[in-house]
Amino acid sequence: MFTKKIIVISAAVAVMAGGIYGYSEYNRKPANLERVRPDVQVSAIELIKTFEDNEQDANAKFLDKVISVKGKIKSVEKNDKGYYTVILGEKEIMSSVRCSMDSVHQQKAAGLTAGTEITMKGACTGYNADELLGSDVILNRCVVSK
Amino acid sequence: MNMKKMFFIAVIAFTVNVHAQDKYFTKSGSISFQSKSPLEKIEAHNKSVTSVLDTKTGNFQFAVLMKGFEFEKALMQEHFNENYVESHKFPKAEFKGQVVNNNDINYTKDGSYTAKVKGKLTIHGETKDVETTGTVMVKGGKLLTSSIFNIQLSDYKVEIPKIVKENISNNVKIIVDCSLEPLKG
Repeated sequence: MFTKKIIVISAAVAVMAGGIYGYSEYNRKPANLERVRPDVQVSAIELIKTFEDNEQDANAKFLDKVISVKGKIKSVEKNDKGYYTVILGEKEIMSSVRCSMDSVHQQKAAGLTAGTEITMKGACTGYNADELLGSDVILNRCVVSK
Repeated sequence: MNMKKMFFIAVIAFTVNVHAQDKYFTKSGSISFQSKSPLEKIEAHNKSVTSVLDTKTGNFQFAVLMKGFEFEKALMQEHFNENYVESHKFPKAEFKGQVVNNNDINYTKDGSYTAKVKGKLTIHGETKDVETTGTVMVKGGKLLTSSIFNIQLSDYKVEIPKIVKENISNNVKIIVDCSLEPLKG
């Protein structure tokens, strides 16, 4: 009798736990990268070069990973909708690492100036090769790394 | 003779300079897409769209990395990439086309102009002819372009499993907003 009760209660708890897990997983928001440890650490120059040399190899190394990238700020852009992008790289080279700021951390980019060395952390969404405009490695949900 | 030559050269240089702003571009354009069904509204945004408009020819292009689309729900973003658009196979979506009525737009005069856009849209490795009407707003040396494309996912071989047919509509509205600046050099 007692064991039956235990089984029923355990089953109910399991179902509830499953339900809560399912609900929270369904509603899970993309992680705020501020607290997330980076998967890879690399310099902006090396990151660009890896993609330029072999996009497939670079994808295997960096795509979808959280990257901590260190480099010199080429410029800071603010688009019409108020979104900031911090661009890392060397002035002489057309290609850059574009760090699109996380919507919560936009204002942190406002004070940054060109020429400063900085470390940014973001999720790598790929390489946008463009002969006319210069090819860029694009990181999303970026935060300024401490 | 010298003065005349210098004047002539100055006029040519000035003319060349004025027409130097042929191409306008951006790397931080925005694309949002929405899919409404009886059960759910799915929405995603991308803020790193590259776009080029050649004001002389009307040639208009934009390109976007699929993995750059941000959803409110992480699971949706993962399914979008892994199952629907298979971004590991087809990382980029592109549009290559024309502003068909390019001659109706005065790119040197501030104002809002209707732009008839026609071209080829490639998503998930499939290319389709599309056309739409958008606007080009000329303002302070910038071109603010805005266009909406309505597409059917099935046209691009994006499969919606039967189990979620009520949640995900086959009709998707794509809003492309790009603020373009002159491309120098």
